[in-house]
Amino acid sequence: MKIAVSAKEVGLNGKIDDRFGRAEYYVIFDTETKEVKTVENSAKNESAGAGGKAVKVLGDENVNIILAPEVGPKAITALKAFEIEAYLYAGMGLNTVEDAINAFNEGKLIKANNATVEEHSGLRKA
Amino acid sequence: MKIAVLSGKGGTGKTTVSNNLAINIKNTILIDTDVEEPNSHIFLKPDIEKIDSVFIGYPEVDMNKCNLCGKCGEFCRFNAIIPAKNSVVVFNESCHDCGGCAMVCPTNAITYKQREIGKIYSGKTKYDIDMKYGEINIGEMSGVRIIEEVKEKIKNEEIVIIDSPPGTACSTVAAVEGVDYAILVSEPTPFGVSDMKMVVEMLREMNIPFGLVINKAKLGDDEIYEYANNENIEILAEIPFNKEIAKLYANGELFSIHLKEYKEIFENIYSQILSKL
Ligand code: SF4
Ligand code: SF4
Repeated sequence: MKIAVSAKEVGLNGKIDDRFGRAEYYVIFDTETKEVKTVENSAKNESAGAGGKAVKVLGDENVNIILAPEVGPKAITALKAFEIEAYLYAGMGLNTVEDAINAFNEGKLIKANNATVEEHSGLRKA
Repeated sequence: MKIAVLSGKGGTGKTTVSNNLAINIKNTILIDTDVEEPNSHIFLKPDIEKIDSVFIGYPEVDMNKCNLCGKCGEFCRFNAIIPAKNSVVVFNESCHDCGGCAMVCPTNAITYKQREIGKIYSGKTKYDIDMKYGEINIGEMSGVRIIEEVKEKIKNEEIVIIDSPPGTACSTVAAVEGVDYAILVSEPTPFGVSDMKMVVEMLREMNIPFGLVINKAKLGDDEIYEYANNENIEILAEIPFNKEIAKLYANGELFSIHLKEYKEIFENIYSQILSKL
């Protein structure tokens, strides 16, 4: 099983990101091989629809689960289509990618069934 | 002839200027292209004779034909179509109806459906001029298509006053595209001036001649006059801040009808524009 974490920095010790669609990186942890891989989020600078495109980045990496702060409505739709589950860590005071994975393993993260943020909330104000 | 009326932000008196101008020029038609918040009809009070829906297309994928090759998703720069595991996700509201995804699809799996994104209202105002205004449906992201369709309904021989969306968004560009002249309405406050600079840049970029109308003149400081002077922008008129004007506005009335001395301001603006074209 592959778990991806929305991250600001590379690797397991990297800081988690407080955005999903516009996160810098996704750190992907393979629970079987214990391999860690960091992919850059090529969707982060999209002018529109970053959330959906980011999900595609994860889908292409065959990710099964994403740990993210919050997710928007488009991302939820896309996650379902890619058969990826999302678990949320917003407001939990977590710091690194490893923290997030541990919290997930301990069953502390809540599964996202619906959008937890409004559309466009990840956009920087011009 | 087409004259656009613009402002750096909302609430500077753009509608006041466009409406008062329209009713003081013979044979004009006013179109309100501020589709997010049209309000010219509040003042012009038209009898609506016709309502047209504005439609936009969005792709529908026939999964019996689709082989999930991914080409449509790579093409779409709005990320409105995303091929996934066993299906293709389409975000209708993000689609700009460019037709590209169907063109690149190797299996002809994509067809387009139509949905309504807004309406165009047409009617005669009580001031003996015609008006049209567009209104975008709640939740829709882009009114550009509605603005383009309002403009398409205009005949060539008409004198058209275009009440434009504020700022410099895509919708403003769509409203101003192809006009002969633009009137920039601003208030003499520091915020008014900084918002207005962006519009000046846009108009210069688009090569559209323009002039300035200062609303609520004398209420603020001199920055706007210095700016206009330095940038060589002509001041077409100044509308003073005046309690009577404010009261008429609050009652949804056009002040140049009631205060005859202001009628001249608008007739003057028009003749100045004519002398330049
Ligand atoms: S029509 Fe254009 S904008 Fe709409 S989904 Fe297809 S490629 Fe994207
Ligand atoms: S381009 Fe056509 S065949 Fe390829 S994924 Fe899109 S809809 Fe399917």
